[in-house]
Amino acid sequence: MSFYPLLIVLLLMSAVGYWFGSKKALGAVRKSTNFITPRPHQFGLYVVIWALVPPILLGAIWILMQVTPLQMEVGLSQQVNRVLFPVIVLLAAGGGLYFSLQKIGPDLKVRKTIEGLVYIVLILASIISILTTIGIVLSLLFETIQFFKKVPMSEFFFGLTWSPQTALRADQVGSSGAFGSIPLFTGTLLITCIAMCVAVPLGLLSAIYMTEYASQRFRSVVKPMLEILAGIPTVVYGFFAALTVGVFFRDIGDAIGIDIVSESALAAGVVMGMMIIPFVSSLSDDIIMAVPQSLRDGSYGLGATKSETVRNVILPAALPGIVGAVLLAVSRAIGETMIVVMAAGFAANLTANPLEAVTTVTVQIVGLLVGDQEFDSAKTLAAFALALVLFIVTLCLNVIALLVVRKYREKYD
Amino acid sequence: MNVQIQAEKSANAGMDVAEEFVIETRNVDVFYGDNHAIKGVSLNIPKHQVTALIGPSGCGKSTYLRCLNRMNDTIEGCRVEGEILLDGLDIYASGVDEVLLRARVGMVFQKPNPFPKSIYDNVAYGPRIHGLAANKDELDDIVLTSLERAGLLKEVQDRLHSMGTGLSGGQQQRLCIARALAVRPEIILMDEPCSALDPIATAKVEELIDELKENYTIIIVTHSMQQAARVSQKTAFFHLGDVVESGPTEKVFTSPEDERTQGYITGRFG
Amino acid sequence: MTEQTQDTAGSNWNSEKFTKGLAKRKRAEVRFRRIGLLAILTALTLLAILLFSIFSKGYTAFVQTYVTLDITFSEEVIDRNGTRDPEELRLANYAKLVQNALRAKFPEVTSRRDLRALFSLVSNDAADTLRDMVADDPDLIGRTVPVSLLAGDDVDMVTKGYIDRAAVEDDRRVKDRELAWLDILEADGDISLRFNRGFFTNGDSREPEKAGIAGAMVGSLYTLVITMLIAFPIGVMTAIYLEEFAPRNRFNDLIEVNINNLAAVPSIVFGLLGLAIFLNVAHLPRSAPLVGGLTLALMTLPTIIIAARAAIRAVPDSIRHAALGLGASKQQAAFHHILPLSMPGILTGTIIGLSQALGETAPLLMIGMVAFIADIPGSINDPATVMPVQIFLWADSPERAFVEKTSGAIMVLLGFLILMNALAIFLRRKFERRW
Repeated sequence: MSFYPLLIVLLLMSAVGYWFGSKKALGAVRKSTNFITPRPHQFGLYVVIWALVPPILLGAIWILMQVTPLQMEVGLSQQVNRVLFPVIVLLAAGGGLYFSLQKIGPDLKVRKTIEGLVYIVLILASIISILTTIGIVLSLLFETIQFFKKVPMSEFFFGLTWSPQTALRADQVGSSGAFGSIPLFTGTLLITCIAMCVAVPLGLLSAIYMTEYASQRFRSVVKPMLEILAGIPTVVYGFFAALTVGVFFRDIGDAIGIDIVSESALAAGVVMGMMIIPFVSSLSDDIIMAVPQSLRDGSYGLGATKSETVRNVILPAALPGIVGAVLLAVSRAIGETMIVVMAAGFAANLTANPLEAVTTVTVQIVGLLVGDQEFDSAKTLAAFALALVLFIVTLCLNVIALLVVRKYREKYD
Repeated sequence: MNVQIQAEKSANAGMDVAEEFVIETRNVDVFYGDNHAIKGVSLNIPKHQVTALIGPSGCGKSTYLRCLNRMNDTIEGCRVEGEILLDGLDIYASGVDEVLLRARVGMVFQKPNPFPKSIYDNVAYGPRIHGLAANKDELDDIVLTSLERAGLLKEVQDRLHSMGTGLSGGQQQRLCIARALAVRPEIILMDEPCSALDPIATAKVEELIDELKENYTIIIVTHSMQQAARVSQKTAFFHLGDVVESGPTEKVFTSPEDERTQGYITGRFG
Repeated sequence: MTEQTQDTAGSNWNSEKFTKGLAKRKRAEVRFRRIGLLAILTALTLLAILLFSIFSKGYTAFVQTYVTLDITFSEEVIDRNGTRDPEELRLANYAKLVQNALRAKFPEVTSRRDLRALFSLVSNDAADTLRDMVADDPDLIGRTVPVSLLAGDDVDMVTKGYIDRAAVEDDRRVKDRELAWLDILEADGDISLRFNRGFFTNGDSREPEKAGIAGAMVGSLYTLVITMLIAFPIGVMTAIYLEEFAPRNRFNDLIEVNINNLAAVPSIVFGLLGLAIFLNVAHLPRSAPLVGGLTLALMTLPTIIIAARAAIRAVPDSIRHAALGLGASKQQAAFHHILPLSMPGILTGTIIGLSQALGETAPLLMIGMVAFIADIPGSINDPATVMPVQIFLWADSPERAFVEKTSGAIMVLLGFLILMNALAIFLRRKFERRW
């Protein structure tokens, strides 16, 4: 029997079980002297659980066994697949049905069984998020170890040249490829710095104005408009950076006689900063709001102006929280992909000049993995090594930022 | 059905001199984490009477009340020791289904908390989950009777399907009482049921409590000593997690034995 | 306290020094306030520039240039045997009809190179148009009818004014002779701009004038449906578990910390996860919406969980107590009361999570949804692309006409995002309950 007929038979069996179960339960409940007894439909569900859970468990075990196949002749294994498995499954379902129908009686704790199952399902759902993290770590780690078997760690972490183009033929020039990732990290850092130079002052000052000066009406209009910036897909920012901002900076450069390439780090950084403005402003907004009113009142009571209060009281008080917010924004910028893929270069230059083209970790991951891949080449594996570094760095930034923000909040709660 | 039988029993009990206790508690201790909230309380609750628990804030009377239907189970880190017997059976024994227990021991809370559903659905919810009605007609019957008993039927008859949250505070509280009655409990716990109500609504609820004691055992926590004096037959005075004095309401109020009770009643502290 | 302050106590409020200082402080105050306002205005200006640059480039994508030619459906070309056999008609050389019509219009063009330029005025889509016309109405054969045909992308760019006629000819993609032909056609009233239906009904194409976003829209729809079907139930179940049932212990703390951190993992890392797990281990089909949806579901899950938890937490305890007090079990209280009451909040969070997924590009590049796919996907296992990836692909194309298409596609994508967010705001306004 193949999968679908088997499934249909199982469902039919459980439907019959439900009907019998609730019918039998009605009789049992009538005879019962108990004041409150489970409802008939709960008995029905109870029977269905007994009919379906054993086959599902068997099926799960079966699939796991398929992953590590036993040594068996083809004919025999087909026999097992076609006949033995369905028979076992149906027997299990039948056994469950019989057993549960026998047990039905007024004192059976039906609700506990049903709720126990629901509870298990809820826990299983919650575990998926943990499995995701484990999946990320394992898949990155596994490929990274493969990578470091081919390329020494010292080269990856301290090498100054990055040109992962392993050649098609062994005798081609530069066939070995170079995997020094320093230029990628400096490129990422450069673009992130530019982005922060745009986002932090604009975001922070916006937040200060919104919380301390703006009227309720101004706030209710302007805040959603700033949030639009956060809702625009990154690919749109990338297009904007590549086609409008990059060209704009190049033209300015031409006009004043400086050579600015159209894929400059400046263009990508500025647009990325633009994307992060609402992120910084809404986080700082929350944090400034959390500064207790009593601190403000104390300052105003001494005759300080609003700006003096902001600079001398509120900002120092909110500083740890703002640092946390900036760290979160940095982690966001480091992991951002599409803007840099579309607006920054692919060539790995080791430079701190924002007017030149640099490349970033995410750009290289995309460059290495898009297109044809062979899974054992150092080129492909390098992407996983880069991603692992990216994952660890962003994770650390986040953990630190969350700790800092939490500490800050506890102080004023 | 059940209620009727109980009513007959109580009529018989009234002739006997000996009181029948539905709930007996022996040496009950309650801890919230390290906080020892109730210290060895022993108290018996007589059947088909109103028992008032009074005492200053934080004395543990609400905590004690919440032990009686195991609502304390919902609070994390709460531990109950000692024996609480309902009809002679320990409700904290293993194997006791707290859900069944709460169906037998209903509860009305300090703040009216109707579900944001229609008046009808509020009252019908309990019977529905416990399967107390075999069909729609029976369910209608239960809902109407419960509303009637709670003295709310006349006021809401023509808007059974409008939101329960749209009623006035007093009506909401009586709706909550009707909702509790619909499950046909034996005992009703009331945790300061009138503290959020105005005097007129309070009077109505008190009147209702007085009527209900014919068929139900009621335990009420209250801050107002006048209320305790008006509605209860028995009173227990809690102080710092302990029952200082308990007995017939009249006696506790007119000739208290303990000086702390005396002090509280005369308003010297509390 | 120094002696000096003691001396002047009470009187220094009127002193010249103080008044001067006060004026200075007032000016600083105004300055600070202006700087704050300026920051907001700068951010909004940047937004306006972004939107303007997209819209000004993109709105023309919704119209397309058509050239009207007198087409002679000559029997010699398309039905030499005169059998009207549909199979034969289908295979006939309709491009020849277009070429004949162009030759007839411009008889002076003879050289091979010029002819090729002339023929490229009309898109090669024109042959298909004619084929469909004949299939619908075989009686056309032998007659001459004016037909509006899709123009080539260069013609389209000229009519929309994207090509600077004043530029030096060598710098120009469209040369003088083509411009001359176009002017003749224009003067005869044979050039028209019409609503670009093909943009919404065609799949991707190498020819800009034929390229449409239908394939990408369908791909996005499939992907988003998969994402929703997986992320929504799992997210809601996790949120219920964590808020209503989870006892405080290490394991549940771990789940919580883990979810908060997953929310901040760069999206591209989820792409690598999808590549490693769904493609290399589970061997699911590459480039398929199924894999895209699974990957985006894992990415969206933390957003949904966090929003759902907040919504569940907002339901007051009194409701839980009311249900428990009536003898409802914890699960009955959660599923009968808490969940329905928090549903508007959960749905709002889900829609916001899905709109993030709709705009997401990077992880999908990793699982191969970046291939050129001309067909509209028919199932979740077919190779497909999604709207943001289509935008990425077009943005990379060298043809000038694709800039307009890219901007047009962005406008459509932004339109969908605005719709989804409007729905979320509507849900929140309509159903949100203040406790």
